[in-house]
Order: sequence, then structure tokens, then C-alpha cells
Amino acid sequence: MNTQVTQTGLPNSYSLRADDYDEMLDSHGQVRSHWLALMREMEKLGSAEMELRRKQALKLLRENGVTYNVYGDTDGSSRPWQLDPVPLIISGEEWRDIESGLLQRAELLNMILADLYGPRELTKKNLLPHELIYNHGGFLRACDQVKLPGHHQLIMFAADLARGPDQKMWVISDRTQAPSGAGYALENRIAVSRVLPSIFRQSQAYRLANFFKSMHAGLTAIAPPHAESPRIVLLTPGPFNETYFEHAYLASFLGYPLVQGEDLTVRDGYVWLKSLTGLQRVDVIIRRVDDTYCDPLELREDSRLGIPGLLEAARRGNVAIANPLGSGILENPGIQPFLPGIAQHYLGETLKLQSAATWWCGQPLEMDYVLANLDRLVIKPIYRTPEFMPVLGHLLSQSQLAELRDRIRANPAFYVGQEHVSFSTAPCITPQGFEPRKVLLRCFAVACRNGYEIMPGGMSSSAPEKGDMLISGRSGSISKDTWVIATGPQAAYESARNVGASTTDSGTENALPSRAADNIFWVGRYAERAEGSIRMLRAAVRKLYINPDNDDPDYRESLHCLLRGVTNLTGTWPGFVAKDQADLMQSPETELISVALDEQRAGSIASLLRNVVRSGYAVRDLWSSDIWRVMDDMYDQLAQPQQLSGYPLWQLHQHLDRQVTTLSAFSGLTMENMTRGNGWLFLDIGRRLERGTFIVSMLRNFQSKQHSDAVEMQLIESLLNVSDNTICYRHHYRSYFELSAFLELLLLDTNNPRSLTYQIDCLKSHVAKLPGGRVEQRLSTAERLMLEASAMLDLIDLQELLLVSENGIRENMDQKLSRLHYLLHSLSEAITAEYFRHDSNLQPL
Amino acid sequence: MRYRITHSTTYQYTGLVGRSYNEARLLPRECHQQKLISARLEIQPKEADFRIREDFFGNKTAYFTIKEPHSEFKVTAFSEVEVSGNTGQLGLSQGISWEATKEILQHDKRAEVLEARQYTLDSPYINTSPELAAYAQPSFVPGRSLFDAVHDLMQRIYHEFTFDPGFTTLSTPVNTVLEHRRGVCQDFAHVAIGCIRTHGLAARYVSGYIETLPPPGQEKLVGSDASHAWFSVYIPDVGWLDFDPTNNQINGDQHITVAWGRGYGDVTPLKGVVFGGQDHELKVSVDVTRMPA
Repeated sequence: MNTQVTQTGLPNSYSLRADDYDEMLDSHGQVRSHWLALMREMEKLGSAEMELRRKQALKLLRENGVTYNVYGDTDGSSRPWQLDPVPLIISGEEWRDIESGLLQRAELLNMILADLYGPRELTKKNLLPHELIYNHGGFLRACDQVKLPGHHQLIMFAADLARGPDQKMWVISDRTQAPSGAGYALENRIAVSRVLPSIFRQSQAYRLANFFKSMHAGLTAIAPPHAESPRIVLLTPGPFNETYFEHAYLASFLGYPLVQGEDLTVRDGYVWLKSLTGLQRVDVIIRRVDDTYCDPLELREDSRLGIPGLLEAARRGNVAIANPLGSGILENPGIQPFLPGIAQHYLGETLKLQSAATWWCGQPLEMDYVLANLDRLVIKPIYRTPEFMPVLGHLLSQSQLAELRDRIRANPAFYVGQEHVSFSTAPCITPQGFEPRKVLLRCFAVACRNGYEIMPGGMSSSAPEKGDMLISGRSGSISKDTWVIATGPQAAYESARNVGASTTDSGTENALPSRAADNIFWVGRYAERAEGSIRMLRAAVRKLYINPDNDDPDYRESLHCLLRGVTNLTGTWPGFVAKDQADLMQSPETELISVALDEQRAGSIASLLRNVVRSGYAVRDLWSSDIWRVMDDMYDQLAQPQQLSGYPLWQLHQHLDRQVTTLSAFSGLTMENMTRGNGWLFLDIGRRLERGTFIVSMLRNFQSKQHSDAVEMQLIESLLNVSDNTICYRHHYRSYFELSAFLELLLLDTNNPRSLTYQIDCLKSHVAKLPGGRVEQRLSTAERLMLEASAMLDLIDLQELLLVSENGIRENMDQKLSRLHYLLHSLSEAITAEYFRHDSNLQPL
Repeated sequence: MRYRITHSTTYQYTGLVGRSYNEARLLPRECHQQKLISARLEIQPKEADFRIREDFFGNKTAYFTIKEPHSEFKVTAFSEVEVSGNTGQLGLSQGISWEATKEILQHDKRAEVLEARQYTLDSPYINTSPELAAYAQPSFVPGRSLFDAVHDLMQRIYHEFTFDPGFTTLSTPVNTVLEHRRGVCQDFAHVAIGCIRTHGLAARYVSGYIETLPPPGQEKLVGSDASHAWFSVYIPDVGWLDFDPTNNQINGDQHITVAWGRGYGDVTPLKGVVFGGQDHELKVSVDVTRMPA
């Protein structure tokens, strides 16, 4: 049976290094029994097919927007999540040991945490050196004696495990601050189970969904006693954080609002969410912001990610924070050598899952050992700072080693030396076939009322290249799903349904944070503005290259009108309305391309699309995966077009066409697939407001001044195109272009979804639905504004509108349009003031 | 000696402050040579959600918020304390050498020593450095008593440093103060603490007030006092002894203690976070009045 596998040529690419332990092959080159089923199936598929599946998985993740620090990179480059579909397999038998080791370790760290912010017996009894704690940046004195209700203080725990050459699993590091990865593990699982469906179904791998149910139960359990059905939120530093995707993903998976510091406020010792419908009390916070940044009053005063007064609310037991502020103290590798002693002291047990041997340099003998063996250890700081990242001693030159020795001698208590565990390897699919790569496994635990629950699986990472080392699961590593093989059958599917707060919970809708509504409103506005601008630009481009007749003065005038319109409507001044625009009018290509593609230019189409994506990403948790896929296309189109510069205009035209299609897909999906909650309402208000404003601006720009009949007709033809009304116009009015008919269609036609009346009608009905709008039956400001706009349109007399004064201006029309513009602008202001009013800037006293 | 202290802090903002969150360490703590008779805070505009707790170091810490929009914020602490001298302590403190003290701090497991031990370590604002060690070295000659060494250090700082309120800010590093030999009471205390810690000894920072007397024949001006700071050294079996390097004094009955910690950062008298406000102007006035016995 084993030889079958080797016959297929696996060993050719799968060559092991003699001193490495391989997860799949034993020392005789035989596939280990718990890998047999998987390898047999993958062999059946063949490595070429596996490589194809790998690409599918990446595409899937990409489309779901699974990223690690995408959009956050300052250079704008994205880093999509890397996934190798070959899972890491762990036998059920071995898992039992790992699980019990993790349970013990979580319990132990929990007791240490409770002690360090409580009686501190451990330092008094010298089970932990005084300096190791008191000198550690993660020991937050302000958090002393702050406690969660119940036994558990450490709610979420993650440990990085690696297998040494001796086959033993070692803990490389503990994550206790705000452990990331559980959401990625779930997303990896879903992607793998989709690209390897039958293999997964037959695998009997434990499902992950139960772990998230436990998480929800555990978080509910720590809620303050006053909270009957506690409101749980996930606090993120925001879209620029490297694991923001995971925050958004978990928040929407668990059904919790995703919030940033500015969404929360402390009033009277309680924490409140600033939602559209007013302040909503928050009972539990899943914290993905580092603790020192969480409260600028008592912790880092320069933090803009926190909530002043948060620590005081926690101190009073009015809010539960998981993990509690101060839990970063446990991410101190210097604690590791003392764990066996503490395990004896607290539990009377030996440590089941040992840490990689670690020497804390704060003790003289240990320091001497580390200094003498620097070239074969990993040197880590006890507290993570940007100034010193962990280093592998054997990669350092003699002079670097000498320098490191000096640093350690100057401040020994700040460093540990850790045995460099030579991680085991596991198969990874590559274009060349299977390859052994070093792997690291991150496991997750969550505290529930009766003890910890361990995720049966985890997030594995493998080295990007064969032979590469791994220190942490981050920098450039490739993630893997992890299958723990059960002895009994498992549910056939991995459930991706909500397991946390139920979606029918009216609280979720009410709890839309104001900031989120603000972002959605602007997604609507930017998307519509981008579409209007693209259409305007496209009309000018068309005019330029379809039947240009430069000898015809009417053609020239209407072209120049359109070019000026591009500048005025996109707001990319001076452009074609500059004083010395004659040259520009002669050869407008460069300017048009710049208005389309120059992201740095305010008002350019690229900058508008960038803003759509940026505002959309800030509320990533609110979009379905289909909608997000369209956003991702937008982002892609932004990344591509640099090569267009210098190409003929028709290419630009095609590019603009594609963008219109993408934007239409976006508006179609939001129309058809979004529930009509407050989120949709603000999106559509943004869209209608912008479209209305665009129509008004367009008419003011082109029709306020009288042109010759010939020019007028050419303009109408182009502008019908801009507003996508050509067909409709022809249908009604045949082919004779007449201004009053054009105005009728664009201003007054209640059935034309691109008419101003249509936008105002929508807005009128939307603003009546805004939360808390009316006080005692009086109209809100927004309602009054839209009522006036609607009445104005009702009362318009087209013939009056067309009257031209002696100076050639349609003053009547201009006045009316100017008033409508003002009303729409005021609507935006009124909504902003009522719903998105942010606290003014926060500063230290 | 009995004192009444009025310490008021006023912030005037150019813009309006919407809300503010504050923490004050302005209420004097009790200690072996100081009895608290009364202490209260008066806050304008009216505070909300007022709480007092003891912080990690045992200082009285008031938390409060201001809800109403305001352009002026004023906190006044009114306190009355009874201070006794420390002559008894002084007599006991002469013996033990600084080296023996260092040994005790490292190995002794008594609660009092363990409590003191945290003050041997670096802290925000005070990092030990070769420069501090070098400056301290002439005072810490081998075999000298801890008291003599620290006393000598205090005198050297008093004589060699210039009191210069314009030179430093809250964030001036200790080494800069040392290099230029100028600063204010807070800087001198930080330098001394850093010097003492480089020798493995425990020193902490004390905030408070000192009674000042007007020149003979003149009336004392209201508000002419200031908040003050000095340092304290742990002497085994004796306790903590306060030294004032700004005035070259071992504290007697003219120093009033408010709070202590590892450095200024632990005992900031008034801190807060405000929403809005733009620029502000700060006024502080302190009155220390001796009361008839």
C-alpha cells in the first residue's frame, strides 16, 4: 500500500533532509498511517491537478477579500492571503495529548494572569523573578486588581507549536494579548473544503464551527451581571491593521458589530456604542487593539485607537474586555523557564506541553550560557518593541554577534535566549510538485464557563521556500489548514453560518455604528460620482475620436463645451477652463488621461474609485462576498491602467466602459442583495444625492448659457449619452434633439431613474425613514429640504425655464438649478450633522 | 506642624471642549510622618461620575468626567495635613552601608523589602545609564553608609546644578538634564533617583509641596508657592527617607507629601483627555499656609 504512493514519483520532488522530521513520511520513506488517506486521494488527483486546486483556492480567497495587511501598505501594494491546500494532518491520538497540554497551559497562564494583577504571590515566593514582571512593558500597573467576573481572566489564548527532530511538540510562543488567526483558520478551512470537497468529506477531520459557538458562549459568560442579553462588539484598530480582514470576518461571522475606538464612548462608567439610533450599551469587547492603546487617559496618552475612561469602566466591572487589559504581560518569553515550577506549585503537575528551552538573561548563570551559545540560539526581547525583533544567532556575522553580546550585557533582563527548534517539515504543493516545507502550528483556546475549549485544528504556516526557517507565523509565510482526524464520522460540511448573535436580533441593525453609516453614505456618493465622471469623460472622448470634424466650428464649440464640462464636473481645475487653455483644447488627450488615471489628482476617476474601495473596506463586515468581489474588481482596475498612458483614446474608452460595468454591477448588487436596513438607506441616500447633484451641475454647466441650435443639438446628443438616456429619448421623441424635451426627460420625468425628479422622490421617501427623524410630528430638516426641492420641480414651467436674457444666459433656469443645488448640499450637511457628528479631536490635557 | 494647602489648576481653551475625562492625584496621602485632616476637590464646571481609588502605589486617585461644554476648566484641591519631623528616623539611618543595602534588596524576602525592590528598576522618564552611574560614582565610595552616600549626592546636585525653569519640559530626558546641569525640582529628583538606582538601590519620586517663607518683614503673596518634588530612599529597617535636592535638605516638617511613584509619570497631578478645545493656557497657583497649632 505504501509503495503505491512512492511509485507515483512523490520522492523525486519530495526529498527530505536527513536531520529533519517529516510529518508525512517516516524515516524509512513510508507514508505515516494518518496521512495515507489524504495522500492517496491527492495522488489520484495528481500534482498538476493539485496545483490547479491551489490556484483555485487562492482565487477564492482573493475574491472573498481574505488579506493580510492589504490596502494598509503605504506603497499601496496588496498582500493577498497565501494558502497551500495541502492540510497539515494530526492524528486523533496525538491530538489528545496536544489538547490536554493546551488545556493545562491555558489554565496555568490564566492563574498566572490572575495572580499578577491580584496578590502577586508568584513574585513574592520567587516562582517568578520580580524583575521579569516589574521590568516588563506589558505589566500595566493601572490594571492592578481589575478582574473579570468568574474564574477566567485569560479568555482567548493561542500558542505556536512546532515539532522538533525528536518528534516532540514544543511551544515556541504564547499569544495572550489579542491572538489573531482563528478567523483565518476558519476561512482556510472553508476554502480548502471547497477546492478539495470529496477529500475533505471523507477525511473525518474535526469541524471548527463548534469552537466559535464556544467562543460566543464564553464571551457571554463574562458579561457584567446586569446584562441580560449582552451586546458584544469587536474592537479593531481599523483598516490599516495587518489583520483587519480577520476582524471584519470574525465580526460578521459572529454577528457582532465591528467597531473602532471612536465608535465607543464611556458615559457614567459604562461603555456605549455610538449608533445611528443613539447610544447602545456595550457589555463585552473582543479586543484586537493592543492593551496599551486602549485608553488614552490611563495608558498611552498618544493613542488614537482607544476610548478614554475604558479602563475605569472595566475596573468597575461595567464592561468585560477579552482579553483583559494587561494580559500582554504573559507574552513574555522570560516566563517560559519558570512554567514547570509554577505548574508544580499551582497544579501539582508536570508541564504536559513544554516550551522550547529558554534562558532569561536576567539571571547571571543563564546570561553566561546565552552569551556563550549565542550562535545557536534564537534571541528574543521579553517585550516586543520595534527596535528589537527576534534574531537567529546562527545567521549573524561575528561582528553582529559581538554587538548583540554588548546589547545583552548592557540590559540583560530584557533578553532571552531560546533553543532553536528545527521545525518539522510537511508536504506543500508547488508548481514543481510536492515539497517538504517547515511548518508551525498555531492553536487556539477560548475560556467557557466550565473550562477551556480548544479548536480542533488551527492555523498552520509553512515556510515560503524549501529549506527556509520560520521564526513566527507571519512575514511571508504560507498558511495551511490543519486537520485533526477523528475516530468517528464528522458532519459532512463545515458550517459557515453565523454562530454568535443571531442575525434576527434587532440589536444588530440598531447597532450600526455612526462611523459605519458615514462610510456607507460615502461609498454611495463616491461610486455615483465616479460613474457620473466616467460618463462625462467618455462623452468627451467619443466626441474626440468618432467623426471628428475640426473644420466645423459647431463641432469645435461643442467639443470645447464638453471638455470644459469634464473639468467642471469632475472638479479637476484648472484643466480645460484654465486661462491659457488653447493648447490643451488642441490636444486634450494627456489631460483626459490624467483625469481618468491619475490617482494623486483630486477628482480624478482613479481617486474616486480609490475612495469607494477605501470607504468600503472600512465597513468590510457589512458587504456580502459578491459585493466585495465587485469592490475587489474596482481595486484591480485601479492597479492595472498605468500602462494605458500614451495609448490611443479608444483604449481609454474601453477602460472606462469596463469601469462603468463594474460600477453598475455594484449598484445592481446593492439594489438586489442588500436588506433594506439603515445601511442600505444611507448607501442609497448617498447615491441619490450625488446623482441629483450631478444632473443639476451638468445642466447648469451646459444649458445655462444659450448656444447656437447646431451646437445645442450636438450637446444634447452627447449629454443624453452621459445620462444613459439616448434610447429612452429616441423612443419618446424620435431623433430630433430639442432642448425642452431633453429637460423634460432629465428634470421632470418621474419614470426615468436618471431624472432629477426621480432622485428627489427617492430622497424624500428615504429621509422620512431615517431613524429618529421627526420630533412631535414636525418635519425634520432633511424632510423640509426635500419637500422644497420636490415642490420646486412640481411647479417648474419649462417654457419659463428656457427664457434667455439679453446677455445670453437662461437666468431663470440658472436660479432654479442653483437653489436645487443648495438644497441637495444642505441635505448632505443635515445628515452629516444629525447622524455622523463625530467628537471633535481628542487630545491630552 | 499643621498646614492648609490650596492648589488650583486652570485650563483656558481657545475653543470649546465638548467632554473631558480626567485623573487627579492632588489629594495628599497619609504616611508615617503625615496625618491627613481633610482633603477635597472642587471642580468647575461641575464634574460627573466622580470616584476616588488608591492606585498601584497607594496614592489617592480621583477619576471624573466633565460632560458640559466648557472653555475653562478649573480644579482646586483644598487639603489640611499635620506633618511631624523625622528626627527619630534620621538617628537610625546612619549605619548600614550602601553595598549591604543592595544585597538586602536583592535577596531579602520580607514584604517591606519586596515592596521597595520595584523602585530599583528603570521606569518611564528614568533610565539608568553609564552617564548617571559615572556622575553618582564619587558619592558611592566603597564602604560608605547609604545615608552618607545619598546625602553627598543630594549636596552635589544642589551645588552643581542650576535651577532653570525655562530649560526643561516634562519630556526632557534625564541625561540631557545631567549633561547641562540644569532643570527644576522634578529633574533634580529624577537625576538623583537614576543615580541611586544605578547602584542597585531603591529610590522613588515624591510629589508634594514645601512651605516657603517670605523675606523678613514682607507679607507672603497669595499663590506664590508651587507644587514641588523630591526623592526618597529606602533604608533597611528604617524605612523611606526623603531628600530634597532642590533645597539641599533632608525633609523635616516643612514638606507635605501628596503622592509617590517610580517617577513623575506615576504621580502626574492632573491629567486628562479632552475632545476639542484647540489651544490652551495653563495657570497653576499654590498656597501653603501654616496653621496655628
